Amino acid sequence: MANPLKLYLTCVRNTLEAALCLQNFPCQEVERHNKPEVELKTSPELLLNPVLICRNEAEKCLIETSINSLRISLKVKQADELENILAKKFLRFLSMRAEAFQVLRRKPVQGYDISFLITNYHCEEMQKQKLIDFIVQFMEDIDKEISELKMSVSTRGRLVASEFLKQFL
Amino acid sequence: MILLQSHSRFLLQTLLNRVQNLEKAIELDHHWVEFDDVRFHVQVSMKNPHILQLSLSLPTPPLETVFVGGLPFGAIEAIKAAYGVTVQILDPPRDGFNLTLKLNLSKLPQDEEHRHTLLVKIASVREVVLGAPLRVILKHLASRTVAPDMNQFVALVHRPNESFFLVPQAEKVTVIFPMRFKDSIDTILATSFLQEFMESRRTAGLSNAPPCLWSQSPPLELKGATDNALSANAGFVTFVIFPRHVEGRKLDRTVWNLSTFHAYVNYHVKCSEGFMHSRMRRRVESLIQALNCAKPDQEKTKKTPHTRSFKRLSLKDSRTNSSS
Repeated sequence: MANPLKLYLTCVRNTLEAALCLQNFPCQEVERHNKPEVELKTSPELLLNPVLICRNEAEKCLIETSINSLRISLKVKQADELENILAKKFLRFLSMRAEAFQVLRRKPVQGYDISFLITNYHCEEMQKQKLIDFIVQFMEDIDKEISELKMSVSTRGRLVASEFLKQFL
Repeated sequence: MILLQSHSRFLLQTLLNRVQNLEKAIELDHHWVEFDDVRFHVQVSMKNPHILQLSLSLPTPPLETVFVGGLPFGAIEAIKAAYGVTVQILDPPRDGFNLTLKLNLSKLPQDEEHRHTLLVKIASVREVVLGAPLRVILKHLASRTVAPDMNQFVALVHRPNESFFLVPQAEKVTVIFPMRFKDSIDTILATSFLQEFMESRRTAGLSNAPPCLWSQSPPLELKGATDNALSANAGFVTFVIFPRHVEGRKLDRTVWNLSTFHAYVNYHVKCSEGFMHSRMRRRVESLIQALNCAKPDQEKTKKTPHTRSFKRLSLKDSRTNSSS
């Protein structure tokens, strides 16, 4: 299933390249304030159309842009109960460390599992291409990590079970 | 350490220390809990430094289990059989405990090996006491009989207010564990572990092991048990024990493994969670490093007044930032 994944990621990458053109824009309503417009959504002329990229019903990516900020929300695939709790655990772990990640949002947007908020300041500090590389790499890594965690649980389960049953032989 | 050992390491260490330093009289008064259900207390007083008192507090039995005189049936006989005259049972036991044993350290066998074996057996007091009824039933299985006046199924306690069930028959004993966990994540992890039990039984090398099944709903053998006993959020595990599993030396191991089954699964669920945590931490570190690559080069050979220095971000920095 690598091909659909690659297409999905390429699509996200292209959209980000087009959307990540941010510039500094002080707040129009309040003096001397500078807020990420995508979060407030007060002035429609500062917002672009949000783009929703769906891989299937379970996985999608919402990209909302404004003049000085960009919000990316991801929904991760969760096939069964175990993947559900592993994904929730892992993504909560990441969100709690949002300070270290800088571009991560502490709470995901309603209906999604994890969200990024990139502002013009981040674009000034970091290179645009590398930032996009990071986001795409992140998406790949989450999938890999959750499947590896699931595999480690089942391997451990098998080992535990066979050791226990060997005791009876 | 994958398997849980039958002797309590702390107790064994304490006993060995005491025996080796019999001349130096030290006051001892320790309380501890094993596997979240059994409480131990060991005491040596200055007045009689050779006498060691060991108290045991068993998990509260639920309604369907019966404790005779505060102990599971067959426990007193088992203690006498295992320890002989070296250990005395004090009646009544210490306040708050189900059993108190008095051990005279100066009367232990002189032979090093015998003494060590006896101390290991004393440190396995949990297996002797809690496993006594199970042992009685399995011993009857080894001789292919059924113990007299046994009900259709027997409930034995293994955790506070929880019991597991045995259906003893002449040629096999069916052991059914309703598995309950407090935390929802524990429940899901345990469910996947328990399903693995069923899978791994099918592998070739384990065909002599007891057949085991896992099901979400109570198995048919438990028809007639109370509803309270039948609620289990991680399903029911059934083992069928045959006489070949309880012959000779295997009896002790089987008794220990069955009576600490829940503790075993719980232990491995917690280990699994700990492992996942360290994995996630490592992944976070690698992601942050990837993010740092996005920042422009920080190595400058000459520091001129025009170069701005960038601070490399790491988890430690962010922690100090948020706490300041």
